[in-house]
Amino acid sequence: MITTRQVDSTSAHRSSVPGTDLVGVGGDLPAQRAWGIRRSRLRAIGSRRELQILIVMVVIVVVSGVADPDFLSSRIISSTFIAAMVTAFVALGQAFVMLTRGIDLSVAPILGLSAVIVGFAAQDHNLNMWVGLLLGAAIGLVLGLGNAVLISLFRIPPIIATLGTFSVYGGLQFVVTGGQQVNQVPDQYTRYGVATDTLFPGVPVLLIAGIIATVIAGLVLAYTVFGRNVYATGDDGEAAFRNGIPTRRITFVVYLVCGAFAGIAGVIYLMRTGSADSLTGTQTNENLNAIAAALIGGVALTGGRGTALGAFLGGIFLSLTLSSMGIAFGIPNEWQPAGVGVLILLAVVADPRARSAGLTRLRTFRLRRSTR
Amino acid sequence: MDRMTDAGGADDVRIAYEAVGLSKSFSSVPVLRDVSINFQPGEIHSLVGENGAGKSTLVKILSGVYALDKGRRILNGEEIGHLTPAEGRKRGIYLVPQEPRLMPDLSVAENLYLGALPPGRLRFTVDWKRTRDAAGDLLATVGLHVDPRMMAGQLPLAHQQLLECARALAHGCHVIFFDEPTSPLTAHEAGTLFALMRRLRERGYTLGFISHRLDEVEDLSDRITVLRDGQVVAEHERGVSRSKLVEQMVGRSLIVTKRAHDRGAIGDVVLDIVGAKSAPEVRSISLQVRKGEIVGLAGLVGSGRTELSEAVFGLRPLQEGKVTLNGRDITGADPEACISAGLVYLAEDRGRNGIFAEVDLSGNATSSIIDRLPRRLKMLRKNATRKMARDVLETMHVRAANIDLPIKSLSGGNQQKVMLARWVLAHPKVAIFDEPTRGVDVGAKEGIYEIIENLAGQGLATLVISSELEELVRLCDRIYAVYEGQVVGELADDDISVDAVGQLAVGAS
Amino acid sequence: MSTSTIAVGRASRMPVWGSVLAALVIAELVYFSLTNKNFFGGGSGMLTQIELFLPTGILAMGAAVVILTGSIDLSAGAIASLSSVVVGTELASGANPVVAILVALVVAAFIGLVNGLIVAVFGIDSLLVTLATQFIASSVAVSLAGDSPPQGFSKRFIALGQGTVAGVPIALLIFLAVTIGTAVLVGRSGFGRRIVLTGHNPSAARYSGIRVARTLVGVFTLAGLISGIGGVVLAAYFNAGRSDSGMSLLLPAITCVVLGGVDIFGGKGRIGEVAMAVLLLGFLTQGLLNSGFSSLTTTMVTGLLLIVGLIVKIAFERQSGESVFAVLAKRLRRVGQRGEVPSRS
Repeated sequence: MITTRQVDSTSAHRSSVPGTDLVGVGGDLPAQRAWGIRRSRLRAIGSRRELQILIVMVVIVVVSGVADPDFLSSRIISSTFIAAMVTAFVALGQAFVMLTRGIDLSVAPILGLSAVIVGFAAQDHNLNMWVGLLLGAAIGLVLGLGNAVLISLFRIPPIIATLGTFSVYGGLQFVVTGGQQVNQVPDQYTRYGVATDTLFPGVPVLLIAGIIATVIAGLVLAYTVFGRNVYATGDDGEAAFRNGIPTRRITFVVYLVCGAFAGIAGVIYLMRTGSADSLTGTQTNENLNAIAAALIGGVALTGGRGTALGAFLGGIFLSLTLSSMGIAFGIPNEWQPAGVGVLILLAVVADPRARSAGLTRLRTFRLRRSTR
Repeated sequence: MDRMTDAGGADDVRIAYEAVGLSKSFSSVPVLRDVSINFQPGEIHSLVGENGAGKSTLVKILSGVYALDKGRRILNGEEIGHLTPAEGRKRGIYLVPQEPRLMPDLSVAENLYLGALPPGRLRFTVDWKRTRDAAGDLLATVGLHVDPRMMAGQLPLAHQQLLECARALAHGCHVIFFDEPTSPLTAHEAGTLFALMRRLRERGYTLGFISHRLDEVEDLSDRITVLRDGQVVAEHERGVSRSKLVEQMVGRSLIVTKRAHDRGAIGDVVLDIVGAKSAPEVRSISLQVRKGEIVGLAGLVGSGRTELSEAVFGLRPLQEGKVTLNGRDITGADPEACISAGLVYLAEDRGRNGIFAEVDLSGNATSSIIDRLPRRLKMLRKNATRKMARDVLETMHVRAANIDLPIKSLSGGNQQKVMLARWVLAHPKVAIFDEPTRGVDVGAKEGIYEIIENLAGQGLATLVISSELEELVRLCDRIYAVYEGQVVGELADDDISVDAVGQLAVGAS
Repeated sequence: MSTSTIAVGRASRMPVWGSVLAALVIAELVYFSLTNKNFFGGGSGMLTQIELFLPTGILAMGAAVVILTGSIDLSAGAIASLSSVVVGTELASGANPVVAILVALVVAAFIGLVNGLIVAVFGIDSLLVTLATQFIASSVAVSLAGDSPPQGFSKRFIALGQGTVAGVPIALLIFLAVTIGTAVLVGRSGFGRRIVLTGHNPSAARYSGIRVARTLVGVFTLAGLISGIGGVVLAAYFNAGRSDSGMSLLLPAITCVVLGGVDIFGGKGRIGEVAMAVLLLGFLTQGLLNSGFSSLTTTMVTGLLLIVGLIVKIAFERQSGESVFAVLAKRLRRVGQRGEVPSRS
């Protein structure tokens, strides 16, 4: 049998990319090609949501600094970063799920459960922090497994399945606490949550942790086959499946990832506040905050679009805006959620592709139901 | 580095692909009947035939999109059993579809290698540099000069189509089918595609090609197979005359029943469309439909017929032109206003824009007249509604056991009759029927023709859009031919023949 | 002319899922009455049990209408909070109760209208829009309530949440009125037909001459109004305009809708079955609370009920004759068998 297989196997390096054997068949490269690419590349970078956020953040910092020079102090900047990390971690996990066109509403009680379990272990048995982090991630994995089973195996729509587990995990959290509170977390945890304890002025240790997590998540999404399959699953699940991508396995795994991130976020919550109770996470709407952060960071609810960096920056952006509103401009705390709401609307309206009218022609061929 | 040497296998690749005795039915409507065909390396083999002849179905079966009911697929002397698109790709078979289906938010390079990204040093990672370089080379090969890192969704449709071709090469496929790839392309873009196809032919690739544009077919093909009603009627070497092809495609032998003019008098102009424009498909179309008259719109798929109707019915913007109904200006009216003015539109894509699949028959039949449903004390009377729907469905001979069945449980023909009932219930003065017998089995077609004729007999001004020439000849008093968004001809009464309409529709005259 | 005959059977058949829910309601009533002396309370006591849950039930009706169109309204809870605070501040400033209620309802309906306009005009996913307006509405509520939320209302007003008429709680009557109103609207009005058809297939609805955008605006406005009613009952029940009172009702309300058999993708569902799900969950939570379980344990049971209910329902719909566990086992096997890395050529 004479087939293309020999094409693929002859050379070790280059020709294992199929199709390149054709190069030279017609290849006439016009001179302006390179120039054209560079220009479109620049335009692409300019329209990146991550960059837009960074610019707006700089503007916010400058304006806030002018309004209240205290805002630029190491303590406030550092505390803004620390406050952002809980949401940022949850948002990183949520980004994986949203990239596959899913949604996880149960991250708040997952965060809470991790916080109370690790909290009690730390408080009562002085659990080592690193073990605590692992434990938190493991708790998140197990709880994420529940979502994964319901969504990937039973094919229950994500929004309903996680709505159900939201209640179940929330109840579990209450059962675990038995009405008690965690409030004596050892110093080995809480010292990372102190705003004045920074590596450099304005840079707390937790921010470094967040950056490392973002880099790892970003690398996984951008450079691994799994990561690319996450994008493909969300972009067009049906087509991805037809191309031999195991979409259901991908769906399964992203809920595990999301759970693990929420679990770690629970431990970070402990570090920041030194306390946890039966309403931790749920009370502060951590699930909706995380979705908001991811949306602001350019992760699309319709899947396939967004980056880990975006979700992370979205979390910081939320925190920064809120602390700027509160500290620099003295806007009462109760208006903070309104700020979040307006930010979501702005983020969505600023993205023409979020509107159904502006969708590309490709998208209109899709069924709404192909969420999985 | 010399790529040609490095690629090693740049020698000609020769794969022949053969189908023997293929049969396929969709919900008991036969689409292909005992089709045998072969595709040889170094050859462009074209499939021609009217809409519904089974060309698309054939290549979809050959590439694994559809399963076959009966028959064998033989690749290089080896029989293929079960085939999915992904498996087909591994075996080297690729279908370039009519509508490109790419991941809009992924880069061009990634789309090319979707499902088979080149791994990096670590097995689970992707070697982006290699992907991009290879993609860049491939894109140059197909004549697409775009940045491989660009999002595929940002490309114009024509480029997406070329990207689909490049994808076939990226996956190392050597049997490539093109299912009407040129319908979204301009002549220049199509030219690029053809140049590519010729180069592939020289390299020994096995190519199958479907097109409605016969000039393209004549230009490119080494062999041409004519399909009609799911059967192979002829196979030609290149150089066959176009008139012969048309003759075999439409099947002269088939006796077209021309209805007798006994429907009653044709009255005044009811629908008057002047200079309608709806970019980009509709450039400028004017036409008139009279009371009791059945007017046909002939043309290729994509010639702007459906778009015209949708613009008139308020489903898409009408940039220029004027629409009047019995002298009343209804330009720019939305669908609801059109319906109350007396204009209705039976949509072409029944599955997406017609039926409410899970809803019962009465709900489907009455969805256009919600404000006129029977009420008592302002509340809808369900039983009266159901009886009303039942009565009209029975006059149309809809076969269904129960009015409460979901419409999806009905056959295509019966579904279409429910759709017709929906518009009859609206008591229209003008009706536009877009492909009224699409997805309807042969037996039920006649029933639908009779319904349309009866309606016209009662004075309905009727505009029929159809890609089946016999259908237009069978039904119409007058036919406009539309080509690339403009009316290119008009035929009436005795001038109407399959040949004449066919020639006009392909823009031949 | 030969005519085919199409049978027109009886208009309403017994809804299977609704019957299952109704049977469960009766079963749990009997169970709690037998096991818990406090629960039965001479019939009337049993009815007052559900009072606390009724605002959730009212919100569920609004959520049901929205979900029937294939959208979702996450702002329902926040609108209820806002409405509760508005009616509270109006009453505290000495307004006539009727005027106070009307003002609250207008505010609630207005936010619903804003939701609808953004969804319909911009074509933005309702999940995003209502996520945003939820935050905004709750901010307004908190800020309006201030440090000391308005409380201590007239007896006549409080009766809306706590009073009874002939042993039947007024709140229950309000819930029933909202339910019947919604059911009639969905089942017996042109607007309801448009809602259902839009939910089934928005594109076909447009081609049928249904003004989909207008329908959506109407639906969201209606949902806002209903959430407002829920908020007023909340204020009466707590005898205070608390800005945190509504938010926690959102997810249970959606749970009721889904458990009541409404398809999250729109089109399919019956208001009556949603009402059954409300009663089921309402009595269940109150019964558990009365039997000494904590409020969050009951939340957990609610979630479990939702998940199990859905799995059972999906298994019903599959009609493959396989048991749920057989399906699970098969699916697990299939996932286990999946290859390591996606195939490449």
